[in-house]
Amino acid sequence: MLLQTEQLTKNYGRFRALDNLNLQVAPGEIFGLLGPNGSGKSTAIRLMLGFLRPTSGRALIDGFDCWHQGYRARAQVSYLPGELRLYENMTGRQLVRFLSGLRGRPHFPDLDKLAATFDIDISRPIAQLSSGMKRKVALLQVLLPRTPLLILDEPTNTLDPTMRDVLLDQLAKARQEGQAVLFSSHVLAEVERVCDRVGILKQGHLATVQQMSELREVRRIQATFAEGSADLTGPPDLPGIKECRVERNRLSCEYDGPLPPLLGWLANHQVTDVHIEPLGLGGIYRQLHGTDA
Amino acid sequence: MTLILVRKTLKDFRISLTVVCVLLFLFQMLWAHVAWRISADILPSFSIGGVTIDFVRNVLFKGSGQIIQSIMGGAEIDISKTFHLMSIAYVHPLTFIILCIWAVGRSTETVAGEIDRGTMELLLAQPIRRSHVILASLVVDMTAIPLLCLSIWGGTYLGTWLMGMQESGLAENLHVDPWRFLPGLINVACFVFAVSGYTLLLSARGRFRSRVMGLATLVTLVMFLVNVIGQLWPAMEWLRPFTIFYHYLPQPMILHEHWSTAEVWQHLGVLAGIGAVGYAWAWWSFCKRDLPAPL
Repeated sequence: MLLQTEQLTKNYGRFRALDNLNLQVAPGEIFGLLGPNGSGKSTAIRLMLGFLRPTSGRALIDGFDCWHQGYRARAQVSYLPGELRLYENMTGRQLVRFLSGLRGRPHFPDLDKLAATFDIDISRPIAQLSSGMKRKVALLQVLLPRTPLLILDEPTNTLDPTMRDVLLDQLAKARQEGQAVLFSSHVLAEVERVCDRVGILKQGHLATVQQMSELREVRRIQATFAEGSADLTGPPDLPGIKECRVERNRLSCEYDGPLPPLLGWLANHQVTDVHIEPLGLGGIYRQLHGTDA
Repeated sequence: MTLILVRKTLKDFRISLTVVCVLLFLFQMLWAHVAWRISADILPSFSIGGVTIDFVRNVLFKGSGQIIQSIMGGAEIDISKTFHLMSIAYVHPLTFIILCIWAVGRSTETVAGEIDRGTMELLLAQPIRRSHVILASLVVDMTAIPLLCLSIWGGTYLGTWLMGMQESGLAENLHVDPWRFLPGLINVACFVFAVSGYTLLLSARGRFRSRVMGLATLVTLVMFLVNVIGQLWPAMEWLRPFTIFYHYLPQPMILHEHWSTAEVWQHLGVLAGIGAVGYAWAWWSFCKRDLPAPL
């Protein structure tokens, strides 16, 4: 495993911000970390970067302890902070060079090409850039070193929709090249689009870890039947039906079986309206946190 | 890596360092003019009127005038000699205020400034050890402090040369040898290092630069007042060695040709020790602490 946490716990005084987090991210995997504000996402990331000392447990990156061997662990990581603060007295190019210099690699031949992809003028002083532009500059310094692990804390904040797509494509490209990505976000659609697995945090606990491929196979079915229809006596008797509710002439359920039997069942009833959509993260997130992100 | 951090810090501080150096240089030059006026014009005019140097000294340094005397460098100062008057510039409040402003301002930036601005997270996300940040600060001090000292001495040299104090044909009380001021700079350097050391310690444990700056200024100010009051009030005398100003004694090193005495080295050792302990403690604190999230 490239990233591994073992019983990782952090207390701030009496408040437990992260409780026994066990997590693994493999090379070439995009892992989404979800949760509402205060659920422990940022604390987990800050522990992985060695910014915080664990109360107990440990985080390892490529076998290096993130607190005791933080220097070696961070050599494997590029990080994009959620709350972005850059050196305002530098230009974009100077910032990338400065931070790359600290990695021992002051020159990147791809810098101008990637800057063009993100449509950013890196010769301008950072102080003159908008927050979205600043985030693009920060993304350059994350993507250029091609480290084995990218940790991105809400990376699409302040990016316009086009640039979000560009970034998500870059992440998919990074995965193809064997880089792992730990990606925290509030935007479920983005996480669904690029992540291989997601972990959902709730009040410092890792409430669930889901394989996105499994999640994509589950569909949410919502069907409305004709008023007075006498034939809706209960949920369909099909393998793969779960979480089913029948209220008057409405049926709502989750289904992870093949579609033809379900469609055949629906065809035998007086259906006036039907919605079939992938369950996605929304359903899981709602179950855990009550509302959609 | 440390070198990259050093280069960045020096680049960030190049304007303020230049301003501080120029101020110190100009003040020393101005002081050369003042010292010359007192020695060559004002004091001789008193003697014409029958007023002796001793009378002037008694009037100036009696009662509350002791404060002036202690600030000027104590009882050892002979105001009839230009060389002695010139040495006052090295302990003049303006000189050490400028030096303290530099040391406090720069050292608060190293950790608390970066945390306050939110850029420490960006910096430490790179594969650098926290100790590199402290080490870079030490290298910057080792670069900047000699520059500050040279600016002071440069001002002394140019000032005395412009006023003609270096000429060999002058009366003994008017002649000034600028090379005699060089040993005093060792004490000045140790003093700046001490201020820088304890300020860095506060910075390494702080989060907001303004608070750390306020605290470091308060500590420095309290030490200054304790040292002055201790000179005037014997009951407080015992507190003086606990202040850096008690050990800030460039004058004996300037005024005595054979300055290398155990007492002088003791003062230098205390100042250098405060700086070194400040740095070591700052390193330990910074390496152990949690890095707060940017606000």
